Amino acid sequence: MNTRIFASVALVAAMAVGIGGQARAEFPEKPVEMTILFGSTAQTIGQLLADLMSKHMPEPVVPVSRPGGGGAVGYQYVHGMPADGYNIVWNSNSISTGYHNGGIPFDFNAFQPIAKISVEVPAFAVRADSGWNSLSDMAADIKASGQKLKIGASGKGSFTHLTTEAILAAMGLSDMAVHVPYDQGRAPVELIAGRLDAALQWPGQFISHHEAGTLKILCVTSAKRISQLPDIPTCAESGADGMDIVMWRGLAAPAGTPEDVIVKLEAAAKAAAESDAFKQAAQTIGFEIDFADHAAFGELIARDDKAIADLMGQLGMKAQ
Amino acid sequence: MDLLLAAAQVALAPAALLAVVAGTLLGVVFGAIPGLTFTVAMALVVPMSFSLDTAPAIGLLLGTYIGGMTGGSVSAILVGIPGTPSAAATVLDGYQLTRRGKASLALGTAVVASAFGGIVSLIVMVVSVDMVAKLALRFGPAETFGLLLFGLSTICGLAQKSLVKGLISGILGLLVMTIGIDEMEGVQRLTFGTIVLQQGVSLLVAMIALFAVPHVIDAFVKYYTGERKVEAVADVRAELPTIRDILRDFWLMLRCALLGTGIGAIPGTGGPIAAFLAYAHARKSSKRPERFGKGEMAGVVAPETANNAVTGGAMIPLLSLGIPGDPATAILLSGLLIHGLIPGPMLFLQNPGEIYQIYLAIIVAYIAVVAIQLLGIRFFVQVLRVPAHLLAVGIIIMCAYGAFAIRNSVFDVVSVGVLGAMAYGLTRVGIPLTPIILGLVLGPSIEREFRTAMILSEGDPSVFVASIPGAVFLGLAALVVGAQVLRAARATLSARRTEEKSRASVTPSE
Repeated sequence: MNTRIFASVALVAAMAVGIGGQARAEFPEKPVEMTILFGSTAQTIGQLLADLMSKHMPEPVVPVSRPGGGGAVGYQYVHGMPADGYNIVWNSNSISTGYHNGGIPFDFNAFQPIAKISVEVPAFAVRADSGWNSLSDMAADIKASGQKLKIGASGKGSFTHLTTEAILAAMGLSDMAVHVPYDQGRAPVELIAGRLDAALQWPGQFISHHEAGTLKILCVTSAKRISQLPDIPTCAESGADGMDIVMWRGLAAPAGTPEDVIVKLEAAAKAAAESDAFKQAAQTIGFEIDFADHAAFGELIARDDKAIADLMGQLGMKAQ
Repeated sequence: MDLLLAAAQVALAPAALLAVVAGTLLGVVFGAIPGLTFTVAMALVVPMSFSLDTAPAIGLLLGTYIGGMTGGSVSAILVGIPGTPSAAATVLDGYQLTRRGKASLALGTAVVASAFGGIVSLIVMVVSVDMVAKLALRFGPAETFGLLLFGLSTICGLAQKSLVKGLISGILGLLVMTIGIDEMEGVQRLTFGTIVLQQGVSLLVAMIALFAVPHVIDAFVKYYTGERKVEAVADVRAELPTIRDILRDFWLMLRCALLGTGIGAIPGTGGPIAAFLAYAHARKSSKRPERFGKGEMAGVVAPETANNAVTGGAMIPLLSLGIPGDPATAILLSGLLIHGLIPGPMLFLQNPGEIYQIYLAIIVAYIAVVAIQLLGIRFFVQVLRVPAHLLAVGIIIMCAYGAFAIRNSVFDVVSVGVLGAMAYGLTRVGIPLTPIILGLVLGPSIEREFRTAMILSEGDPSVFVASIPGAVFLGLAALVVGAQVLRAARATLSARRTEEKSRASVTPSE
């Protein structure tokens, strides 16, 4: 409330100055539009973040959904907008996967990072009756039997598919597996029904079934265990050495957006990410808050882009 | 019982009740206006639900979902444009009833049938959620493919005079839906290297284009050629169905309600498919199938019962397995998640109170829907007093806005124009539009299930008959197609014979 009053006072003052002399208008003088690229969890977190950021800015942040083409449609839209900070994008690793598979004609350099907000960590699950307690168990069994492992993830080139391939490569199972693409989170159900041997999806889709004992989560793909599943080992602990793959989400603006505008958006994003409402949502929706400022975020994006390019190159899925 | 009472206290508290009713009203309005759908309405209310308590939040979302599902029938019946894809089957007979001056009767019957379907599906859900969920688990890609193919074969018999024209139309529907990125392999199809085409044609956009645009063009053409109809305005009574009218179709309603619940429970299907299957079933089981398509009340009752039964059916895998069946339930899922309810087997053990709240919210929503719609009928039918060309202007504005609102994409507005103009052209050369809709609705599902099944079996086609449900459905599909071919062949033969006979009878007389 105080910030609102302060902000409106500041706005009135700015207007008075504006009428008297001539000063450049303060950012923001109109609502900021946040383009959301995907549905489900990404959309929910994005809408909540926009709602919370609005409380720390004199003008609201409006979430606008522009899905399609694996993020290409939304990235293209924001890319084509003026670099004034009024159009930002709720981005993710999809900028790299989309560019390298040929869906997007520009790479991450087309955007100026604002802040990293959160990470989501995929979980690897197997059938409850599989008898496997770790990735090593699974790999040994598969190699001994010669039976191919049927593993479910989202469509080819998606983030969960790439993560799946990375785990298989680390376990030496690349030629011993069949990737089955599913949409709408059907992979966990197919796993319970016994049509799959393993599945890689977001933890939220597995947790209830894991607790009920109808399937078993073997590991999570991050370097550290996640707060939602403190008892589940990491995939590195489970046998896939050095495994550290997470899906980050953050905010970015078109390249060339002025530094002072970026800093203001970053401050609002930081306040939103540190709010209690966001922390609570992280627990219930199933993501980890992991704020980083625009400089650190920029380094992460560049590093991650290289890793994804390498991985897609190895899989023969790199188009550019 | 204590739990139920405690849940009732929360779910029937003023704030929660108000939320359900408000959601239902919003859903009915969005569903009733052609172009605006309840998926858009739900996307709008989700941010509002963040700040509400759990019970009002769930109520608001469920109300919008249910209100929208029934609201779709209003514009389907009154102007022949379905408010939602699920109401597409309702157009076939509902619009004809309006033309015969029975608009309010059809609307009243539709809302009662909707509520009946919804409540039956809720009862099935409460009584047998575990069993149905287990059954749904047995429907893998191969079984679902069999079911969809059976559905397609049954529905194909609908209103087709010419097999060739029907096939042309159906294949156009399939083609349109392949545009965009193939989600399974990640390849681009028919995008011509552009980014805008990567988003593909949304089912909602195609629906708006197929139903609304030809209607609008037609209205304008008729206005400018001076061909104005007066009779449509003449009969705008608010006549409600009597209990006896409704009870006459009781068994049909019950069968369609169970069918809708079953279809809703199977992931990868949904409201439009259930509605068309129910319509086909009603026509098959009717004593006077020839009256379907000309304004038969059973042709409204069946799809409306079934598409609302889908709401309860879709809640079964959503709550017990955590999988959303369609975009609307996906939004519902995110609303549940944000309030700390993680759907899945543990939900029933950890949050039994909230489960009861959901059940109660569904009941309240249906009561609200019936009240709102029955009160609203006398206002809805006033639409018929508006001259057709003026109404067409309103429709085209709402459709343009509605198409844009789905994904905030100008491309979708352009798609409505292009596809709509094509659809108008097709109607002019006598190609029916219903098979296009079937192609749109069933095509992507059939393709996805077929490919997933083949990947799972590593290319072995025997997977489709390896399980009992799969074999049964494929067998039924073969039977239906065989019977249709036989009937068509016999009809052609007898036609030829009478032709020969008539020729034979002509020659000797000369």
